[in-house]
Amino acid sequence: MLWLYLHFPHLLLDHLQRSRKETSAMVVITESGQHVQQACPEARKQGIEPGLRLKTALSLATELATVQADPERERLILVQQARWLYRHAAPITLYPPDGLLVEASRLQRLYGSVDALWDRVERLLSDHQLTASLAVGQTPLAARLCARAQRGCRDHGDDTALMTARLKALPLDHAGFERRTLERLLRLGLSTLGDVFALPPTELARRLAPETLMYVQKIQGNRPDPQTAWQPLHHFEQQADFIHDIEYTEGLLFPLQRLLGALEDDLRWRQQDTDRLLLLLHHHQSPATRITIGATGPEHRAEAFLDLVRLRFEQQSLAAPVTALTLRVKRFLPRHEAITQDLLGDAPDLQEAWHTLISRLQMKLGASTLHRLVPQADHRPERAWTTQEPGHRQTGTPAVAAHHHSARPLWLMPHPRPLQETPEAWLAGPERISAGWWDGQRVHRDYYIAQLASGALAWVFRDVREGWFIHGWFG
Amino acid sequence: MSDLLKNLIHDARVWQGHQHHKTLHRNEPTGFEVVDSGPSPLGWPRGALSECLLDHHGIGELQLVLPLIRRLSQAGKTVFWVNPPYTPYAPALAREEIVLDQVVIIHTDTADDMLWTLDNCLRSPVTGLVMAWPKNLSSRGIRRLQLAAEAASNLCILFRAANNSRQSSPAALRLVLTPAPQHTLEVRTLKRRGNWPGAPVILAIPERIGINVKKENLGIPPHIVQGPWQEPATDPRQTRE
Repeated sequence: MLWLYLHFPHLLLDHLQRSRKETSAMVVITESGQHVQQACPEARKQGIEPGLRLKTALSLATELATVQADPERERLILVQQARWLYRHAAPITLYPPDGLLVEASRLQRLYGSVDALWDRVERLLSDHQLTASLAVGQTPLAARLCARAQRGCRDHGDDTALMTARLKALPLDHAGFERRTLERLLRLGLSTLGDVFALPPTELARRLAPETLMYVQKIQGNRPDPQTAWQPLHHFEQQADFIHDIEYTEGLLFPLQRLLGALEDDLRWRQQDTDRLLLLLHHHQSPATRITIGATGPEHRAEAFLDLVRLRFEQQSLAAPVTALTLRVKRFLPRHEAITQDLLGDAPDLQEAWHTLISRLQMKLGASTLHRLVPQADHRPERAWTTQEPGHRQTGTPAVAAHHHSARPLWLMPHPRPLQETPEAWLAGPERISAGWWDGQRVHRDYYIAQLASGALAWVFRDVREGWFIHGWFG
Repeated sequence: MSDLLKNLIHDARVWQGHQHHKTLHRNEPTGFEVVDSGPSPLGWPRGALSECLLDHHGIGELQLVLPLIRRLSQAGKTVFWVNPPYTPYAPALAREEIVLDQVVIIHTDTADDMLWTLDNCLRSPVTGLVMAWPKNLSSRGIRRLQLAAEAASNLCILFRAANNSRQSSPAALRLVLTPAPQHTLEVRTLKRRGNWPGAPVILAIPERIGINVKKENLGIPPHIVQGPWQEPATDPRQTRE
């Protein structure tokens, strides 16, 4: 069996770098805040190495951005990397906080050779702007140790003799032994992993510890080392973390663009669409702001979502500076197949144009400001219609014609207005409408059509208390 | 050329004569025979603004656009009503054979939002017609709408108060609507692009109240034999006292 291991020396820094435009030196400091744990290439250029004291590092680089180490956050970032890798390689095992293990022997047949798989992974890493060292090994541990020691080599990835030689040449301080075991091995005069392999197993177990023997056997492959395969979650979730807090909504658009691009990729892989995004804006102290972005129809294009988010951000300002941004999508819809009339597909897709327009309007003006009219079977004029949110675009379904024998005005007043003048002419009426005795909203009126002095035709009624009201206009 | 002139031309507020050839868009027929026929038929200009100026709602102004709405909605085009003064009454629209699924009502709070909405609606390929009832509209705003309508070759009809008729406007068609005797509508053309205004037209809109006024010629239709108007008690003034 062959295994490919990806070791990310400064994953957190790569992740942060993707959400910002400038390139200045960044380091991750240990939780105690004393030492440098990870340093980005820019910082390394200025002489900062992991393990350096923070004070020294600050004097080396003038504008050094520092990030507190956070194992939980690093694990989440690692999961994000596993998500895209899963599209190309499986099964994957997570090695938090900075490693991913891929079983390469099964993929050998898919990609042709281990070298081809290696090339593919390297290209994907550069697409995602990540730094990682790769190594192939015959056991998971062998691959991991070589990758961490940066002893991986692309050429002849499946040459077992070369791999064994490489593993045997590994210095003991890269072999991942416990501190005390390492000291004892060094005191025995051993310097490489090959020296340890040469010891008789019984002696190794007796002189050191049975656990050490187990570990060595796992590296060699003489003892089973089962791996638990990672399964991606069904929903989409990605986070962008910022090194400096973002105070204006415009600043969020740049990282969001990348997240939406990742979402578009994800949706393309699923061959699905979505119509609901959840944005979580994380703040320092206060609870996260939740923003729901809704489109009226299935959508997958990043630019369409970005357009909606931009409109939404115009409406609201940030409650507090934002430290991180999460994009979450839980609802997936089957992808709508564009039915194009012409072969080349030059005609605009009306269904899509409709959704774009209505989503834009709803996002800018609020969902309640748009509606469609629907007739209802009721004799009371104010209940003979209702409103409906404009959802899907209807095509070619002619409305059922209402069979009224009497004329109805095109304008209805939301509330009847008292009639203040004597009409000039009476044109039709009375038409008695008496209904609603069954639900307590009783209406008992005589309707007339009258011409007022202004020349307008009004729909007036007289109610049970002999009051006269205008209820509509014949526009 | 002086800077002043250059500025004026650059700033799109001045209409220039040589831009005239752009009006290649065909006019949409209104659906009224009196208007559509004749040597210079009047029609709703595509890719331009139209204005209807009127004092009171309820004089039959919607009747003028009903044939257009009916035709567009049946063709699967969306008709937007932006800030209508009252609620368009769904049963009456359905009775006029308008496809209600294609009718979208939008209410906006501010004048800026309304312009933004009109602009977006006009530029969309799903739109057939945009009707708006703006309260106040600057000539800059009208110009913006004119450009949007031109870009997408869409129809836009604004209903405005009659006192705006003295104000100049870049709209391609400006109509003054006034009620005429026998419940008809007088349509006076204030301005039309590429033609003379022509004489006012009286539109008979008999279907409006379900009575064929034209045939009856005048006044009270015969099937109303008795009404409340003959009794003094039915005068609203008196009933309120």
